[in-house]
Amino acid sequence: MKSRIFSATRYLILGLGLIFFIFPVAAAIEFSLRSYGNKGHTFANYSWIFQQEDFFTNITISLKLAVLSAVITLITVVPAVTFLHLEGQRYKRIFEFLAILPLVVPVVSLAIGAQKAMPTFIQNSQYELAFFYVIIAIPYTFQSLNVGLTSIPLKTLVEASRSLGASFGKTVTAVIVPAIRSAINAAIFLAVTLSFGEFTLTSLLHWETFPVWITRVSQGNVLGSIALSMFSLIGAWSLLILVQSLQNVQKQRRAKSQVEEIEEVLT
Amino acid sequence: MVNTQESATRKSGGFSSIFKVIPLVPFSLIFLFFFCWPIFQILKNSLDQGKGHYGLSAYRLMFTKPYMHAFATSLQLSFFSALTAGVIGAVIAFYVHRSSSGLKSTMAMLSGVLANSGGVPLAFMFIAAFGAQGGIVTLLKKVGIDIYSSGFTLYSLTGLILVYSFFQIPLMVLVFTPALEGMRNEWREANNSLGGSNLQFTRWVLIPVLFPAFLASILLLFASAFSAFATARALTGGSVGLVPLVIGSLIDGNVITDQANLGDALAVGMIFVSAVVMVFYGFSLRWARGR
Repeated sequence: MKSRIFSATRYLILGLGLIFFIFPVAAAIEFSLRSYGNKGHTFANYSWIFQQEDFFTNITISLKLAVLSAVITLITVVPAVTFLHLEGQRYKRIFEFLAILPLVVPVVSLAIGAQKAMPTFIQNSQYELAFFYVIIAIPYTFQSLNVGLTSIPLKTLVEASRSLGASFGKTVTAVIVPAIRSAINAAIFLAVTLSFGEFTLTSLLHWETFPVWITRVSQGNVLGSIALSMFSLIGAWSLLILVQSLQNVQKQRRAKSQVEEIEEVLT
Repeated sequence: MVNTQESATRKSGGFSSIFKVIPLVPFSLIFLFFFCWPIFQILKNSLDQGKGHYGLSAYRLMFTKPYMHAFATSLQLSFFSALTAGVIGAVIAFYVHRSSSGLKSTMAMLSGVLANSGGVPLAFMFIAAFGAQGGIVTLLKKVGIDIYSSGFTLYSLTGLILVYSFFQIPLMVLVFTPALEGMRNEWREANNSLGGSNLQFTRWVLIPVLFPAFLASILLLFASAFSAFATARALTGGSVGLVPLVIGSLIDGNVITDQANLGDALAVGMIFVSAVVMVFYGFSLRWARGR
């Protein structure tokens, strides 16, 4: 009896939650298919998106910045966290603390500081954005790498590699990188999604990327702006779902192989 | 085993000590230049009176009525949106936690996806759904409910709380679930076998055990609402005077004051509030782990 009440409440609550999330999306999609002057529903607003000449320009810029911030994350955050797990144990706490700090400083504040502090030759290049995206993403990228590396016996692997006579470079390319690859992938993914969607800093520093362009181009066309918003929201959601399912598959496969390994040892 | 470890340490100790920390250098460099240096500049600028003098006049202006009002509005928004999303998210997390693992992983994925939505597109989506011409508003009108006649408008504090819930409830589910995972089934069994009711279990076990983690999660939501900018600007266009929006219009030059460094002082004010919240977050996290 009690459990029946429980499961009834559960379905009620989950149902209400679902309504709260599905209704706005459905209503906005319906809105985006409307036409001016109430002439029924069309896809005209969506084809309008692709007719904008700046559409591809801005997507390209955002992609470039996302790739650049992924690369910067790869050469700054990844080596630092790996080192902290290998030999820099005594610096670990202080770097963990530092990595939280960008979360404490609101992006608006960082933007005002960036405007004051950066030399002109940096302010004149749009690529400055990538560096700030990396900073904004550090609390997430650092943490995800940090957690990812805890579960890997990296130190033992490196010691084994060295005692077998591998050089430093060989140890990095043949042992460290393959061992932490999935942790790297997760961090890179975080950096990319964050850069691609960043609006606050970008617009306050007066640069145009895809999210900023959406806002500008929306001012003249209400229906088009809704279509564009739904296009970018649904695009982002699909991408996130895709990546998460891939990660889940990977995780299951890894768990399976670990079980097999244990079985091998036992038999 | 001990021996190999020792020899490995000695081997790496052969490098000079500067060479040893090279992997930390790129990180430290960009962190110093693109983070610490701008923050230092805001601090310095907020105190700069021109002609090499330093003083607190920008802060004095910050503590006058219009700007204090902006801080009050921002805090109000953060508080109510964190509380609303926090309570709803915690209830959802609780019910999902006690469901089948299939539902659990689906919900985890959905929360991860939805918690990441935000910015301008989210604001536009809600305008399409809850604006005066929006589908939901017209649908409700057909069944006889006119939410706009009851004084509701999307372009207000209430509207912002509604929009923020869309990413804050999933965020709450995401950050609160680990605390629920720590709950032991045996506790409920012990309670039942000792004759305790469900209500007693909730009052004397569930709430005290989960409260620190709940508090920590709420503080995280608070911080995220406090610094949110894009959604608020796109939705209200500045009609709700939040601190980030005031700073934004100062940067854009839409608002002109005699005090050129007012924006810097406000930025420092925001960092201060957010730092206080994060300190409490740290404490409640420690409290939650101590149990």
